[in-house]
Amino acid sequence: MTISKIAKHVTGALLSVGLISGAAQASDKKDIVFGGSIPLTGVFAFAGVGIHAGITDAVKIINDEGGIEGHKLVYVPEDTAYKVDASVAAFNKITSQHDVNLYYGDSTAFSKTISPEINRLGKMVMTGASFASELDDPEKFPNIFIPGPSYTDMTGILLNHIAKEKPGAKVGLVHSETEFGRDPVEGAKATAKELGLDMNLIISTAPGGVDVSTEVLKIRRARPDYVIFHGYVLAPIPEFMTQARAMGLKTKFMGTFWSTDNSMVSKMGEVADGFLGVMPYNYYYSEQENAPMLDKIRSMRDTYQSNAYMQGFFSTMMMAEGTRNALKAGKELTGANIKAGLQEIKDFDTGGVIGVPVSVKGNSVPVGRVYRYDLSKKQMVPASDWILLD
Amino acid sequence: MDWLFFSEIGLAGIGTGGLYAVAGLAFVLIYKATRVVNMAMGELLMAGAYIFIGFSAGLALPVWISIPLTILATGLLGGVIERTIIRPMLGENAISIFMVTIGLGSVLVGLVEIFWGADPHRLVDFIPSDPIFIGEAYLSPKVGYGFAVAAVIIGLFLVVFRTWRGGVALRATAGDQAAAYSMGINVPKVFSLVWVIAAMIAAIGGILVGSIGGVSPSMGVYGLSVLVVVIIGGLDSLLGALIAGIFVGLIETYAGAYLGGEYKMLATFSLLVLILVVRPYGLFGTHEIERL
Repeated sequence: MTISKIAKHVTGALLSVGLISGAAQASDKKDIVFGGSIPLTGVFAFAGVGIHAGITDAVKIINDEGGIEGHKLVYVPEDTAYKVDASVAAFNKITSQHDVNLYYGDSTAFSKTISPEINRLGKMVMTGASFASELDDPEKFPNIFIPGPSYTDMTGILLNHIAKEKPGAKVGLVHSETEFGRDPVEGAKATAKELGLDMNLIISTAPGGVDVSTEVLKIRRARPDYVIFHGYVLAPIPEFMTQARAMGLKTKFMGTFWSTDNSMVSKMGEVADGFLGVMPYNYYYSEQENAPMLDKIRSMRDTYQSNAYMQGFFSTMMMAEGTRNALKAGKELTGANIKAGLQEIKDFDTGGVIGVPVSVKGNSVPVGRVYRYDLSKKQMVPASDWILLD
Repeated sequence: MDWLFFSEIGLAGIGTGGLYAVAGLAFVLIYKATRVVNMAMGELLMAGAYIFIGFSAGLALPVWISIPLTILATGLLGGVIERTIIRPMLGENAISIFMVTIGLGSVLVGLVEIFWGADPHRLVDFIPSDPIFIGEAYLSPKVGYGFAVAAVIIGLFLVVFRTWRGGVALRATAGDQAAAYSMGINVPKVFSLVWVIAAMIAAIGGILVGSIGGVSPSMGVYGLSVLVVVIIGGLDSLLGALIAGIFVGLIETYAGAYLGGEYKMLATFSLLVLILVVRPYGLFGTHEIERL
């Protein structure tokens, strides 16, 4: 055997070893897929567009910092038009084409529909746009994560604020007659009772209804000190407030997450001055010391980003953190292990996305802050400190 | 029994009914003249509201200029829809045309989302906000003024429809197309005219409804309630649209006030089922007799 032949064999052997070990390394660091049924069109598109942008930016930041323990995070979205059948079709398409470990669902109905399938597959955890109280049950929904407080917790945060501001106050709850709208009613009644508040008025409004004067007449008779709106984005809240003010009512009006986006509240006009709302995250413009993640968001996007953006961003951060915990523990990426990783999250610093360190409790992150709309600043400004529920 | 509350609910119901009647008028006009059940009426109304946003907020024109411009632009849109989409379908199966109008609704939603985005909007406040009291009974100003505008339009239309030459041509076309042709009436022109007028009425409806309930791409759902109104009133009866509009408005508000918001739709659709069982052609619709 000549020297050149020996050299060729050695080179070949080395190349083989290199390729094999390289391949082994590559398979160790395979991409982690974050699928998403995202409502980029349809009735929820106002949120879907923001959610999509938030997830996209968070994924970019995570990958720029080396991914999740060296694994690249890959976001695979499909538009659903906020229709459950389209969301299911998107889920089937994405999961058949990719090995999905993380998923974002667009609605409560979709989450409930697809949850058994996620449990059956056993390899992923799903977060999403829904803060439904029913989903905040680790026994019933073991592979679901709610990126913030549930709707019942949101009304709980508002009621806690009311109880501090005006003990024994009369409180009304106006909700849309939808699954989303009905969600916190029973929980809010129980919390109000615990806090010594008088929930003396509950009104449901038909979806698609235009005139709300009948409902305002009920408010005029009950004269609550506070009214909490839930299940709306913009309409009919401004009309309620306009008519109530025209009748001389001094009632304070409040909203839950989806109706407290700063651009939406600004659209309510002058009547929005003093409107209160619960928000689990900081606003895009919030000033907070030591908030590198908020600064990064502002450097990536120089115009206001909505609540939905913050929700998508925070969802992605938390899902990545849960996955990171599972990988650090040397566990296989299964639904149960990622969920355990999420539940390990204690006093996690979100870099200013939320103003206090957060912990996962049950399936959710029960933290939020009450904000008040300041017409002169045209901004929702803090009206309370951060409130953490047990 | 709180009679003041009862009367206030009644006033709100009549006001809401007036808005239904306006949108129903546009629906009936098209059906009466062309036999097309326009499922895109809610979306046409939505398009009118968005065009008003375009003029009043986008171009920052005064409201008194924006309103007539909106009516004209939406009328033009109605004419274009008739000429390019509906006219080629005439003579086709009624179900095909029905499906085309459903598709048209989706197209209008898509266009609105492209031009104005998916966010909900509020229209510029131009309706006086001082509360209206009739005796001691409160009436929402927007609903009150909306009803007044609706009443004027419907009244005007009922008069014009009976006296104006175009109105007579429209009635003749609705009665018998072949006879109208033979009498020298330009039937295709009547079809275009009807779509233009209906779209103009839809624009007014869109501005009124949008002023009260806000504007969003899903605003077309309002058309479903209007469909109920015209089926109850009779698909080809203008007077039926007016009376059924007020009737449905009253039923909805009383159900909402005394039973709860969750019963509004239940009450309305129960009424629809009842009317369809008892009078399938509606309260004032033409009972067509087919002779074999």
